[in-house]
Amino acid sequence: MPDYTTDELFAVLLARDLHPEDRMIQVGANMPMARAAAVMANMTRLPDARVCVGLAIDNLADGRDAPPVYPFVFDSRGLRRGEAYMYQQWVFDDMSRPDVFFVGGLQVDRRGNVNLLGIPGEDGGWQLRGPGAVALPTMSTYCRGYYIVMPRHAPRTFVEEVACITALGDVRRRAEFGFPGGGPRLVLSPLGVFDFDEDGDMRVRSLHEGVTAEQAQEATGFDLRIDGDVPVTPSPTEEELLLLRERVDRGGLLRNG
Amino acid sequence: MTAAIHRGRTPVVLDLETAIATIRPGAVVGIGGAVTAGHPMALVRALARSGVRDLTVVAPTAGLDVDVLVAAGCVRTVVSSYVGAEGAAPLGPAFRAAAEAGEIEVRDVDEAHCILGLRAAAQGLPFLPWLGGVGTALPELNPELVEFEDPISGRRLLAVPALRLDVALVFAEAADAYGNVQFVGTGHADPLMASAAKRVIVQVERVVENEEIRRSPGATRFWPDATVVRAPWGTHPYSSAVITADEEHLRGYARVAAKAARGERAELDAYLERYVAGPQSHEDYLEAIGIRRIAELLI
Repeated sequence: MPDYTTDELFAVLLARDLHPEDRMIQVGANMPMARAAAVMANMTRLPDARVCVGLAIDNLADGRDAPPVYPFVFDSRGLRRGEAYMYQQWVFDDMSRPDVFFVGGLQVDRRGNVNLLGIPGEDGGWQLRGPGAVALPTMSTYCRGYYIVMPRHAPRTFVEEVACITALGDVRRRAEFGFPGGGPRLVLSPLGVFDFDEDGDMRVRSLHEGVTAEQAQEATGFDLRIDGDVPVTPSPTEEELLLLRERVDRGGLLRNG
Repeated sequence: MTAAIHRGRTPVVLDLETAIATIRPGAVVGIGGAVTAGHPMALVRALARSGVRDLTVVAPTAGLDVDVLVAAGCVRTVVSSYVGAEGAAPLGPAFRAAAEAGEIEVRDVDEAHCILGLRAAAQGLPFLPWLGGVGTALPELNPELVEFEDPISGRRLLAVPALRLDVALVFAEAADAYGNVQFVGTGHADPLMASAAKRVIVQVERVVENEEIRRSPGATRFWPDATVVRAPWGTHPYSSAVITADEEHLRGYARVAAKAARGERAELDAYLERYVAGPQSHEDYLEAIGIRRIAELLI
């Protein structure tokens, strides 16, 4: 067994992948692994980025301490930190600036579409009501890129077609509509890391230590594109875990759940 | 015309119950704040206590404030991008149960749609265009969002209809007796929500002297039809500049509301009696919470 949790692995993988041109990193509610990734990347690889967690926008270059983790991202104590505030009534006025954000979902499909709305019932109600759109439609349309983080990998979460498209990931349909944003970069699950081929179909990029291609396919509700020998996801290094645990996630939220 | 100097500008401060009594059944009510911060809960609880029904509630990113109104039977329609309290309740339990059963109408919108709809109302426009949401399930789920062809580029866009509010309930740190309102922090989308409404009720921590407002006029927002209601610590169980969110209280509510969704309503009814219907004033509510708890939450 690895000596790190899935959430810690997610944080390290996201922190490694964020792009050098990502200058404004937005983290939504209930995504502690994304918060940790943004903070880690800002402290190490991307000193010129700004990180928006909840109500405050911060920069953590030059050895600045990570902002404290509160039970809720919209905690008003967060207002005592940072260089600027996120004003909900103005945040959508500058859609050329948010570069990257993170999406969780009830379902993701072969084309990279995400469903956070739920599964409609047949007579007007909902068979399963999800959290709602939040800002997924808008952010996925405009951002330079985004990451899909799926806490569970099963045939009911990795599906051929999602029930309600909340974030349109399908590269062809995005081009048809002329979306300015770059679409989904990666999908992270407890089994592996996935990206999309030129045609926009999901493919395996790497599988986490101990996971076989058969297991990944079995847990997926569509034909997963698997090219040749799949690499093993490089594990978090000791240095990465040390930074994560001692500077970023001091309360152990990702370690202990 | 008299040239005498006028003395006696009209105050707009009202007590909680009087201010809320003006809200009629079927009203379209905007509720300010965002997720676990800055909801005008003294106003929301008084609204639930008033027994008003069939409300359309508009909230860009709601906490469990909307969930309590649904649990109390006040709501017919919810216009929101989210109803919940993050880890304490990823989805409001009463909202979820009522939505799944089709007992309330949910008009699903993106957070930006809610902002745009309020802005359209504030600007007297029928709609504002937006690209986010094109190609998603939203126009299908919410027929009020209409896809149309941009007459300039020919691209497909979404018409986000104006969200005209009968009344906006918002929270701010301070106001003077004449409705000069000052927010601390970001104010979320509250000022815009107020501009989208025919009437505004502002819940404040403190009613301050006009001279205090004049020390930082750049921070002032005002709406000529605003009413000011004083309710210290009145965002509880959500955060303000003076208290943090009460996680334990929120988890407790989420637990009994989830039980009610499974058919066991007794504990939810007891919660509503203790914290919503029972207290006859905001001061009664604070007594029910207890000064020790409030002291623990003070920042």
